[in-house]
Order: sequence, then C-alpha cells, then structure tokens
Amino acid sequence: MQEVHKYRKIDAHAHVGLKPAEADEQIDIADRLGIDKLCISMPITNYSGTEPEDPEQVRKNNDTVLEAVRKYPDRYIGFMTLNPVYQKEALEEIDRCVDLGMAGYKGYTQVKINDPLYYPIIEKFIDLKMIMLMHAFVQIGVGGYRMKYDEDQSAANTTIPEDMVDIARRYPEGMFQYAHIGGGGDWEYACKAFRNYPNIYVDTSGSNNEEHMINFAIDCLGEDRLFFGCDGSFYQGLGKFFSAELTESQKKKIFFENYNSILKKSGNHVA
Amino acid sequence: MLLDINAYVGHWPFKQIKFNTCEALMERMDQFDVDISVISNLNGIFYKNTQPANQELFDEMRSNKQFRERFIPFAIINPIYAGWKDDLEECRNKFGMKGIRLYPKYHDYELTDPACIELVQLARDFDMPVAFSFRMVDSRQRSWMDIQKEWDLKDIIPIVKEVPDAKYIFLNLCNSIKLSDEEELLLKDVNMVIDTSGRSVNTFIELLERFGREKFAFGSHSPILDYMTGLLRIESLSDEEATDETKDLFRFGNAKRILTI
Repeated sequence: MQEVHKYRKIDAHAHVGLKPAEADEQIDIADRLGIDKLCISMPITNYSGTEPEDPEQVRKNNDTVLEAVRKYPDRYIGFMTLNPVYQKEALEEIDRCVDLGMAGYKGYTQVKINDPLYYPIIEKFIDLKMIMLMHAFVQIGVGGYRMKYDEDQSAANTTIPEDMVDIARRYPEGMFQYAHIGGGGDWEYACKAFRNYPNIYVDTSGSNNEEHMINFAIDCLGEDRLFFGCDGSFYQGLGKFFSAELTESQKKKIFFENYNSILKKSGNHVA
Repeated sequence: MLLDINAYVGHWPFKQIKFNTCEALMERMDQFDVDISVISNLNGIFYKNTQPANQELFDEMRSNKQFRERFIPFAIINPIYAGWKDDLEECRNKFGMKGIRLYPKYHDYELTDPACIELVQLARDFDMPVAFSFRMVDSRQRSWMDIQKEWDLKDIIPIVKEVPDAKYIFLNLCNSIKLSDEEELLLKDVNMVIDTSGRSVNTFIELLERFGREKFAFGSHSPILDYMTGLLRIESLSDEEATDETKDLFRFGNAKRILTI
C-alpha cells in the first residue's frame, strides 16, 4: 500500500448521486487508495427510461454535486451536466454552475457530442477553457453487427469514437475527454481511433481491468493524453496502473499532472 | 507469502494477451512477490477435446524445474467429450494436476448434466478442488464469436446442491451476488473459496460479513485481468476489517486449505 499512496492522484471521472458509492463511502475508499481529488458529476442516466430529463432535473443533479462539494471541499471538484436538447437553458445553466465553482462538463446520452445542438455549448466551454467529458462506448462485433446495442446498451444516442473524432476535428481548440476506456467497451478500438487527434483525451476508468490496457493506450496516444479515473471502480482503477509497465514520470503525469494541467487552464487546478 | 489461485497460460483467440507463458508469468510473480500460482492452459477452453491442452501445460512445466516448484497445475476437463475419465486419470496420476477447472458455457453443457455431476463427484473422491469461472472476459467487449452469458453467484448453486461435499473454487465473481436465504446457507456450509479478482469483490466487506473469512483467497485472473486489483482488495482492508492474520488467510491460508498443501 506504500507504493499506492506514493503518488498524488486526481480521479478524472467520478460521480455522486449514482451507485455504487455515495459521498461518505466514496471518500473512505479514496482515503484507503490515496486518491486526493475526485472530479464528480451527476449526469441524467435515465436507466429506467422514465426519468425526467428537463432543465429542472439538470439543475437538481447539479445541485446534488454542489452539495457534495460543499461537504468535502478539499476532496471534490464539481462538474456540471446539461441536456443540450434544451439549449437556451443549458447555456444559462453553464453560467450558474461556473459561478458556483464548477470546473467542467459531463455529458451523457441525451445527445451525441457531434450533434449541432452541442455547437454553442462547446463554443462556450472553449471560451471557458474547460474540458468536456463525454459518456461514450464502442461495442464491436456483438451479435455480428458493428456498433449496435444489445439489450443491455439501448441508448441510441450514445457517443461513439467516430463522433468524438468528428467533433474534435470541427473544434480543434476544444478539449474532449472520452469516458472510461475500461467501462466495458472495446478499448483497443477507441485508442486506435483517437491516435491522430491531440484534443481527444481518454480516462482509464471503468470496471474492466484488463491487463495491458494502460500500456496499449500510451502506445496509441502518448503519455500526455491519459487521465487516471475510476468511475466508481476504485480497485480496478488503481490496480490496472500498478500492474502496468510505467516509468515514475508516466505515473506522476497520468495520476495527477495531466489532468491538473487541464484544470489549470480555467484556474481550477490543485495547488 | 502470496498464492494466486487464479492464473493461466496459453492463448486467448480473440485478442493478443501478454505474460501468457510460464516464463512470463513467473517474471510477473517475481515482480509482485507472488510465490505460487494455480494455473491452467487457456487453450483447453477452446479445444473440444481438452486433453491436448493439459498435455501442453504438462510439457511446458516439465521444461523448467522452477515451473514445477512455483506452479500448481489444474486440468481442464470436458465431461461431455469421449474419454474424459481417462483424461482425468492421466491429469491426476501422470501430469500431477491438483484440481480441475470446468467451463460449462464454453463446452456447452449444463451444470446438472449427469456427466458434470459425475465428474465433480469423482473430483471430490480424489480430493481435487473444482473451479468455475463466472466469466472469462467482460462480455460487453467480447468478440462476436465469444459467448455472451456471464454468471451470477446463484448460477453456481445447482452443482453445489448436487455435490455439496466437493471442494469448490469460484473465480472472477462479476455480477449479482444475491442469493435466497436457503442458497446462502448452502454455500456457507460448503468447503469453498471465492477469489478476489472479480468485479463483485468490490463489495468485499459485505461478502466477508456474509460468508466469513475462510471463504476468500487472492486471485488475479492473470493474464486476462491486471495483476494488482485482486491484491488491492485485500491490502486496502483496514485493521478493523481484517487483521494481518486474516489477511494471511486471503493471501495464502485459505488457498492452501482448499488445495491441501
């Protein structure tokens, strides 16, 4: 455990208000594993298909995040969620959340990241110098078809790597974070797709802790475009790093420095 | 001491994997201070006739004295394939294999298939533990040629009901851990261990409360999963949750008990 606690860490993909761990439990695990800061958000996941996704629900979710940040101000950094379908309200919500100290964005499956509804939102985050973390997925070959969802993955508006590439090319000055290469999707596919797009970053979170994932991602993307993250899978999040073949410098960069550099652009970095 | 109860050598046909030879695995073990690993040959999951895979593992282990000292081989047996009793006999007596691993989904039979029950009964009579893996890879990114179904904890109950006095090793527990009261009582009474490699062991403290400290053992599911996560789940337990003596049960004690070594 000494080795685990040796490095400062920012978890670039964390949540509150969603399972499995609530704030107190989450901080307890973070303490055990030496995670200094967690970038938390509460997207509207709508797993049931019956949850409201309107601006009021967006504000409620963001308020839950703000409440958690108030409870653990030294540990949490708040990220906002939005529903771009309600574009006017989404732009207003950005102002509200930034005023209250939020440091970036977490999007879900309401709209794909390259949908034109996103354009003014992306332009606003470019002005703010903030990163946009996008829930995304790629399933290849399941059932013999390409990038279709089976019964477990029914959200048709889920962003896929090609959507990330599309928006990264449209907005080369934007910063886009592809969520959880360990989230169960085909991480080799995603990393290969992003090789030539320097404004796409990936976080390594997710419950899938396959061997060689981290080194493969570095081979494809270099050591500056990876962020350490857990997305609630704390043991796997750490385990895959300490199992990887990394230099001291790479560990420091990916656990902390890479993401802190992003936060620094908007003045939200960790001292 | 550390004993990894869940490791493999061999190939995975749908993705390149690293550290999948005895030589590479032993280097990995040295790097992470693992003394002994229980291993099987992944190839046996994909061969209908699994015995050549067991032979391959035997041959590889025979090539280096250290392999024989550091690895405990488990046979992969397909009980619906002709000659499986001869295979078991050869694995036990000639190859020195200490347990068996079964893959009902890959070899396409039910746990309650009479041949499966007979095999588990034979293993019991030979004092060989029987291991089942709840999944091999995360099915969300599997190949279209791979199987889709992953098991929940309750899926293992039918064979435990049939042969409650066998010794079991449950590997890579990854989905629901819900059981009925009756199922939970049954599993508590069985001589079994669950390895720490699986996603569901993120709730280790809850599992410990339910099944007790004799039921868990360090496992990596290497080389498919990373080498550290299963160990982190043990080492990050607080002193109140697990004393060093209890952690030693997880690190090696419970595995030694189930392996009778």
